[in-house]
Amino acid sequence: MTRYIIRRGLQSLLLMWVATIIGFTVYQLAPGGPLQFLDSDPKKTQADVERLQRLYGLDRSVPVQYMAWAFGEDWLPATPVWRSGRCLSDPDACVHGIIRLDFGRSFHYQGQSVIGLIVERMPATFLLAFSSLFLSVVIGIPLGIISALYRGRWPDNAIRIVTVLLNTVPEWWIGLLLLIILGGYFGLVPLGGMQTIGDGSFWDRLHHLVLPATVSAIGGWIGFSRILRFEMLDVLSQDYVRTAHAKGLAPKTVIIRHVLRNALMPFVTGLGGIFLLVLSGSVLFEIVFAWPGMGRLTIDAINSRDYPLMMALFVISSFLGILGLLMVDILYSVVDPRVSYETKVG
Amino acid sequence: MPNKIQRYLFFTVGMMALAAVLYACGPANSSPTTNSNSAAPAATNTSAPAADAATATPDSSQDTVKQVVEQSGAAQATQMQGVSVSSDEDVVSPRTHLGGEYHDVATADAVSFHPYLTTDTTSGSYQGMVWAGGLLRLDENTLEYKPNMAESYEISDDGLTFTFHLRHDMLWSDGEPITAQDFKWTYDQVKNPDNGFPYLSQLDFITAYEAPDDYTLQITIDQVYAPALGQMSGLITPLPKHIWEKLDWQDPEKNPEINSPTVVSGPYKLIEWKRDQYATFEANDKYWYHGAPNISKYTIEIVPDQDVAYQKMKSGESDTGDITPEKLDEARKLPNINVYEWWPAAARWSYIGLNMREGFATSDINVRHGLSYAIDKNLLTDQVMLGQAKRLCSIYPETSWVYNPDVPCFDYDVQKATDAFAQAGYTLKDGQMVDKDGKQLELKLIYGPNTSKVRELMAVTVQDYLSKIGVKVDIQALEWSSFLDALHAAQPDWDMYIGGWSATIEPHIMYTIWSEENIPDLNSVAYINKDVEKLFEEGGATYDTAVRKEKYGEVQKIIAEDQPYIFLFYQKAWSGQNKRIQGIEPTALGIGWNSEDWYIEATQ
Repeated sequence: MTRYIIRRGLQSLLLMWVATIIGFTVYQLAPGGPLQFLDSDPKKTQADVERLQRLYGLDRSVPVQYMAWAFGEDWLPATPVWRSGRCLSDPDACVHGIIRLDFGRSFHYQGQSVIGLIVERMPATFLLAFSSLFLSVVIGIPLGIISALYRGRWPDNAIRIVTVLLNTVPEWWIGLLLLIILGGYFGLVPLGGMQTIGDGSFWDRLHHLVLPATVSAIGGWIGFSRILRFEMLDVLSQDYVRTAHAKGLAPKTVIIRHVLRNALMPFVTGLGGIFLLVLSGSVLFEIVFAWPGMGRLTIDAINSRDYPLMMALFVISSFLGILGLLMVDILYSVVDPRVSYETKVG
Repeated sequence: MPNKIQRYLFFTVGMMALAAVLYACGPANSSPTTNSNSAAPAATNTSAPAADAATATPDSSQDTVKQVVEQSGAAQATQMQGVSVSSDEDVVSPRTHLGGEYHDVATADAVSFHPYLTTDTTSGSYQGMVWAGGLLRLDENTLEYKPNMAESYEISDDGLTFTFHLRHDMLWSDGEPITAQDFKWTYDQVKNPDNGFPYLSQLDFITAYEAPDDYTLQITIDQVYAPALGQMSGLITPLPKHIWEKLDWQDPEKNPEINSPTVVSGPYKLIEWKRDQYATFEANDKYWYHGAPNISKYTIEIVPDQDVAYQKMKSGESDTGDITPEKLDEARKLPNINVYEWWPAAARWSYIGLNMREGFATSDINVRHGLSYAIDKNLLTDQVMLGQAKRLCSIYPETSWVYNPDVPCFDYDVQKATDAFAQAGYTLKDGQMVDKDGKQLELKLIYGPNTSKVRELMAVTVQDYLSKIGVKVDIQALEWSSFLDALHAAQPDWDMYIGGWSATIEPHIMYTIWSEENIPDLNSVAYINKDVEKLFEEGGATYDTAVRKEKYGEVQKIIAEDQPYIFLFYQKAWSGQNKRIQGIEPTALGIGWNSEDWYIEATQ
């Protein structure tokens, strides 16, 4: 088991390193750059652009910029080929590289530490992701149970029609629609944001949270209810369920003790991992609801070609994603002894 | 599209004259937040033409263009060499409608309060709240510079030395006096190339910036330069030396003042800033200009997009909000909203750029004339802008003080179009405009961002008109960054592109668009005309506004004749404000020039 975890961990690290190279290259290939804001601005001259490129080291080759980003520029030769102008004139301003957990400074946010910007927004993202997951479970599991128990009858059909319908429409679009109808025309929910300015009480925050959490949970509870329906039907056809019925247990007892317990197993074990996945996937909802989390930051970073910020967000979200998958796998094998990775992988 | 006007205070107003802007910025850009038609201090790209889509009908608002031209034209006629200008304006008497809270919205948050590192619009508005402005400011009616933080100034006989006498009664919010030392220190920091000021080259003409005593500034320049006065007062607003000199200039980790300034000079003090959520400000009672502004509390809330901003205004949650052109009619009928409309001196204008490089059909002046004649620009303006814009024939809109009405306009005329093509060696055969080898003329038209409905409509309309004279147009819509890349490529592959600029009150700034050294960046069409460059140089090398008007007038004629652009239209500006906000008087300068005097009706 330990060997498996170590092996998977190392594989994940390697995967991440490769991902950073790909990410860095792709971002550099995108048209424009951090100085794009000066494009077509008659107040600047070419000399201004060149001066700023040198200052921020954007005139260096992409591999050198990658090295500086990944491993730091303080150990690179003190020449303009290797170091940014800022690092040359002030060694304190050198980037130390992600390997030493220095994610660098943001271009768009004018030298603020990238990590600081991200940490500032994490609570909001966590809150939304957690609420979303909570609602997914609370709505999705009962629906899945009802669907399975009434298989082929009207409750099942109704639930399936609704879920399929919701599944065909992008959730962010539903969010925008609800925001305009419920918020704009009826004034039932706030038009985005996390709190009323100057308020920020629990109820106020909850009021702001309801719509974003509900909408971002749609995908979750649809998925949960369908998987649970499938799992339940699977378990219902098992011999031990028939045995339980045969030995005269009340149907309720059979459902709760035998069917549900087994059908829910994959959820319980995977929840932690799923949470991390939800966390790394809430960008669109944050944009739609003006939620001050990492999603908005990501869009800003991409639009302004803020390489360090983009890369940091990229690394963090792939880290969360990979960690999430890893957790799901490991926990699953812990809970279900039949899953033995030793033989599979080894 | 100029619809929602972010408040910009004197600081911004002073700089507005200097900021020429390519306003085609897509939503993809980091900065375009509001569609403020005022360029913020260092604003570059301001607007998302995505919002330009128009279905509004012509409005009934007063047509102020003529008035603007008369007022500004007259006022600019000042001789500047060897003069002394002083102001006896009362700047002390306090305002009388204190109280209340204004709720503003923005679709993107600011970057920081550092006026010398940021260039985006929202940062500009935030900075306008806390920093006091420049030595001079623009008069809201005459658009000429008048004393602001300097109560008087003198210009030496050779026109190279400017002496400013600062007001003695200006205080930082902590009670310390604002002195010439603050100006000088700030200037020195900005001038340091390691400090990353994006527009450093704008200060190249200044050879010395000295503070002989606490209330005198002496600025020397290298040669007579017409925009000098505006530039030296607009580019430098002082930062509190006694606070900032102990701190790092640009690192927000070592200088907390960058993100939360505690000592300010402007009308408001920052109370709290929650990034991507909101910023709140309270009136600064130490503010030098008539003390605290009328409105005591000011909040800027960050909203996801223009639609939500509009909804917030409609519901009364905010006092202003973005009005996209298609919503303009609806907004005018809202019971709680006044829609203010005006023709700004710094108007946005749109054009079709024609590639003048060798090897392109459009390098032939007759082809350019032919294309221009073939497009009904009046109809296009009406179709696309629905009454919110006016026809433009050359490089300055009617609202500019150097505007020359006497330029060729190339009004729609299919016969003249085919004649012009004939002169270039093309013939119209079977509905196709063919060259000597019998090959149909095919032109590639690009625009960006691809999400802009207005640009799309313009492209299709142009394609339609040109197909009538047998010219085939291939339209390519590009994402904003790709568009810029294509536009500024050393070897471009397009024949035409749709572009836009923000006009400047100072006409000389537009020189950069037409000078050879700015190919391919600002001068994307690669227009080279030494006569134009000479006239611009001459116009910039004198303070005599009559001479300047003549030079720029001549420039307009030559450029219109050359048609490197097909000039289309310039736009009106508008802003929705809750009816409870009183005292709003938009002029050609915009709506925010007197925002410190806006007040809230107590009874409502």
